[in-house]
Amino acid sequence: MLDVVVRSIYISLAATLIAFTLGALISLLMLATPRRLSGLLVGVFDALVGVPTVVVGLVVYMLIHPGGPLGFLKLLYTPTALVVSQSLVALPIVVTLLYRYFEQLWGDVRELVLSLGAPVGKAYLLMLRESPPALIAVYLIAFSRAIGALGAVMVVGGGIEGLTNVMTTAIALEVQVGNYEYALTLGGVLVVLTVGLSLVARAVGGLVWR
Amino acid sequence: MEVRLEDVWFSYDGRRYVLRSVNVEFKGRGLHVVMGPNGSGKTTLLKIVSLIYKPTRGSVVVDGRGYWDLGPGERDSIRQHIVYVHDKPIILRGDVWYNVSLGLRLKGSDSYDYLEELVERYGVSELLRSSSRSLSAGQRRLISIIRALALKPRVLVLDEPFNHLDSSRVRMLVEDLTSMAGSSLVVVATHYMVRELMGSATRLYELVDGSLREQG
Ligand SMILES: Nc1ncnc2c1ncn2[C@@H]1O[C@H](COP(=O)(O)OP(=O)(O)O)[C@@H](O)[C@H]1O
Ligand SMILES: [Mg+2]
Repeated sequence: MLDVVVRSIYISLAATLIAFTLGALISLLMLATPRRLSGLLVGVFDALVGVPTVVVGLVVYMLIHPGGPLGFLKLLYTPTALVVSQSLVALPIVVTLLYRYFEQLWGDVRELVLSLGAPVGKAYLLMLRESPPALIAVYLIAFSRAIGALGAVMVVGGGIEGLTNVMTTAIALEVQVGNYEYALTLGGVLVVLTVGLSLVARAVGGLVWR
Repeated sequence: MEVRLEDVWFSYDGRRYVLRSVNVEFKGRGLHVVMGPNGSGKTTLLKIVSLIYKPTRGSVVVDGRGYWDLGPGERDSIRQHIVYVHDKPIILRGDVWYNVSLGLRLKGSDSYDYLEELVERYGVSELLRSSSRSLSAGQRRLISIIRALALKPRVLVLDEPFNHLDSSRVRMLVEDLTSMAGSSLVVVATHYMVRELMGSATRLYELVDGSLREQG
């Protein structure tokens, strides 16, 4: 059981790292685009947040299955496929949260710097200094999204013992064979992890809204 | 420093004009008070005077030169003398000392004597090490005012600076603004009558529906 937990965590950490880096870049680029376009984009990402993870898995499956355009990479039923799918699951929430945060923060620090008669360039420094707690909070929220993405990992990973079986898939598979105790224990670990993380995220995020 | 608005119009959405043909000249020193009801355009006007907003039409002339026609370098060198205090204080993460000293730090100044004097005078010394998260509205305002006063700018613009302040601080601030106005330009916007202020005002203006009128 421990191996399943550990695998879940490291696959999700990798996926979150990718989603976070990509999401931060996208949200910063959106800040630099005209308001009308960025408003449209944030609407699109808002909508993507609600897409069922199994649909994300299906899309990735279509791309990487042996007959698919990326089939030659032989990624289907590998941990890499899980990382890719989970990062796609987590990406939209990272983009929408970071974009809104950066937009508000940039407005504030820019006005502050201008109001104090300093060059606008100083606003970038203040933004760097202000943002760590918010970034940590968003990272943890994204991690929770990634680790709970059952649908996606089922489709592209198949829950193969010792390879792509993670907590969510293990729970689903064990319930089917009547191994309730195992499933409940894993479920407990998953709940403690995600609830714990979201509490930490709330606490850290609380520091943001000074 | 002299700031002149020439036929200034401003619109946020490109349809409705919040300021309509404002003409006003703020000479190098004195205490100028702009009054007007909520929504009359005071904040917008003050941000234009402070060179934060660019007018939709018209020009802002600082010491004889159209500010928005200048290059970035020249703009920065003019703007460094002009300080604006927000109606809604912007306070950053960190402690109170970090926030009150931010203006000086952004300027690369390390002479904190006057700042320390102000901190003492306005009674916030006890707060310096407290987190900025747990401040009351009045304390936040004091911090944003002290942060600005410490810079001793040539032009100081304050937006509703008396909100949430107790009467002794209001008196103190009016005193400080009055004495500053002897050598600098001070512009204050307020939506209600502040008795102490009226006596010291060099000029009084009223903003109604985006038009500025000078009072008697
Ligand atoms: N950021 C903004 N976007 C759109 N409209 C605004 C904005 N800020 C102010 N307004 C509008 O401009 C008008 C004048 O506002 P403001 O200058 O804040 O007035 P005052 O400071 O006198 O209360 C109001 O009708 C207000 O709704
Ligand atoms: Mg206002």
